[in-house]
Amino acid sequence: MTRVLVPVEILEGESVAAGLMDLLGTVDVTVLGYHVLPEQTPPDQAREQYEERAVSALEDVADEFRAAGGATEPRLVFTHDRQQTVDRVADEVGARAYAINGATGEVERLLVPLSGDVAVDRVLGFVADLVGNRDIAVTLFLASASEGAGERLERAASRLREAGIETTTEHVLAGDPFDALVEAVPDHDAIVMGQAAPSLSAFLFGDEAERLAAASVGPVLVVRSVEGLDG
Amino acid sequence: MDEASGQNIDGEAPVAETVVETEGATVTENAELERTLGLSGGLAIGIGTMIGAGIFVFPGLAAGRAGPAAAASFAIGAVIALLVALPASELATAMPKSGGGYYFISRGLGALAGAVVGLSLWFGLVFATAFYLVGFGFYAVDALGLAGVAAGEGLVIPIALLVGAGFTVLNVTGTENAAKLQNGVVALLLAILGVFLTFGVLDAVGVVGRPTAPERFAPFGPFPVLSTAALVFTSYLGFAQVATVAGEMKAPGRNLPLAMVGSVLVVGVLYVATIFVATSAIGSEALGRLGETAMVEVGGELLGPAGALAIVFGGLLATMSSANASVLSTSRAIYAVSKDALLPRRASRINLRYGTPHVALGLAGGPILALTATGQVEILAEVASFLHLVMYGLMCVALIALRRDEPEWYDPDFRVPGYPAVPVVGAVASFALIGFMQRLSQVVGLAIMAATAGWYFYYAGDVKLKGAL
Repeated sequence: MTRVLVPVEILEGESVAAGLMDLLGTVDVTVLGYHVLPEQTPPDQAREQYEERAVSALEDVADEFRAAGGATEPRLVFTHDRQQTVDRVADEVGARAYAINGATGEVERLLVPLSGDVAVDRVLGFVADLVGNRDIAVTLFLASASEGAGERLERAASRLREAGIETTTEHVLAGDPFDALVEAVPDHDAIVMGQAAPSLSAFLFGDEAERLAAASVGPVLVVRSVEGLDG
Repeated sequence: MDEASGQNIDGEAPVAETVVETEGATVTENAELERTLGLSGGLAIGIGTMIGAGIFVFPGLAAGRAGPAAAASFAIGAVIALLVALPASELATAMPKSGGGYYFISRGLGALAGAVVGLSLWFGLVFATAFYLVGFGFYAVDALGLAGVAAGEGLVIPIALLVGAGFTVLNVTGTENAAKLQNGVVALLLAILGVFLTFGVLDAVGVVGRPTAPERFAPFGPFPVLSTAALVFTSYLGFAQVATVAGEMKAPGRNLPLAMVGSVLVVGVLYVATIFVATSAIGSEALGRLGETAMVEVGGELLGPAGALAIVFGGLLATMSSANASVLSTSRAIYAVSKDALLPRRASRINLRYGTPHVALGLAGGPILALTATGQVEILAEVASFLHLVMYGLMCVALIALRRDEPEWYDPDFRVPGYPAVPVVGAVASFALIGFMQRLSQVVGLAIMAATAGWYFYYAGDVKLKGAL
């Protein structure tokens, strides 16, 4: 079964948009309630003080997810390092993707960028499982001027159409790929993208998925490039 | 496994629960506690705590007392530290919990020994931090001197107090992650020292520079070598601070022993080399006359004004890094005893606005400032060593006690080589070193231990912790 990790900053009152919960209704969800501490504070010390509140807030979020349809399992972590916690828990539960929270209403159209060095098969497989037989349309987006890019895009689209998903394509030939992607965001309710390999630009400007989430305001599902063992 | 039991006079009981330790987290019933410190972070805590004192404050004081044989005093300290770091590593991998030495001793030897060590560790760290801050004050005055501002030694204490208060406030309010900064500071210090020592050793053996007249190695005989070892032992206290963050280390079975033993080896070699270079460059008599910031003169002698500047800069960074790392360890030490109901639970409250343990940080910062105001470098250093050495000796005893009657839960990933010789010699050497300290330091140290024992009987005499994981 496909599993998605949804990290929630549980003690900061972060809530998950109803649209995202519905979108994830076809998959198993691990809600990761986390609380980040400054290094002066041992996680154990914070737990002593906040555990009760955090457990009850997390249980509320998990209940909402269950009401939206998917099997849901909560995890609560006190940490100094958010990214390390997300990666570890995603590995442990064998999550195929993790969510970056964002505001959205009912999801009717997904934007799926295939630009760059992402594992297209993994992303398409995940999109097919996520959409299932629901009435959600997909735009496949590719910003590349390289030879054969158009054919690659069409092959990907026909694969989704075979799975019964209404699919359109958008091929951008010029300009900055990231800017073009941000321009494509309106009219879409959520984004599904592949996790990019660590790169110089990610180091300098921040992770592309995080930047896209910030620029688009809506939720982003990041399909992980490596999966942990099931467990 | 035994259960922790009893209550303190406020009616609080030790927090007891069953947890599962994995490589990446401590898993409790409802929550996981992420382990986020790697090997480099552990080494940065160990080396960063130790390097300030041994290299930047002690060379002058030590050479004045023991002559060129001060290098031997540092070597003796390193051997004792290593004899303790090995048993401490075994205990830490068996019990990878915050609290370090306190935790091992309270579980291995019981609540009374634990309370004395835990509360003494608090004061030991407070004395050590005050010592680092006074060292910082001396370097700050030298830095002002280089900048052309004639600031007398009268400014040493005010500057130290200001910086000490600043750290306390910063640690309460600052929520930026400073761990990376600490790693950078340690790397920078090692680079400065690497250049300095390479040049200094070449100079000392006569490859470069002008020849220096040889001195008698131990002009004052063997006793000052040992009493100097007791004084400079403060330079090795940092490895135990690694154990206070044991609960936050990734893959603790591997990283804890490497960080503790590795940091002792690294700084031990650096210390001995530094003293060798310093006594060769300007002679032990001149070093002794120059006192706390003698290394600046050594840097100037070897590499000119740039060398002096580099040493002043290094001294400021190193004493600051030692002081800050110790303030953080103090707060964790207080948390560990308050979790076991040996101090009121409110000592470990967390500030709602900043998420920092403001009460524990205040319980560290307040006494630190009071002690800094005394400005007694040698007494501060020796009392800090005294209180740590008691803990070190008892850690070795706790190891022997646990090994003789191994409980079911005792399953360390790392076992001391050369058992039982290493912990036995470690314990004897730790206690023996205390005997070489000044009388005043011994009296203050014993008084603090007696007071902590009195506190235990008054406040938490019913609390039992032996064998309760």
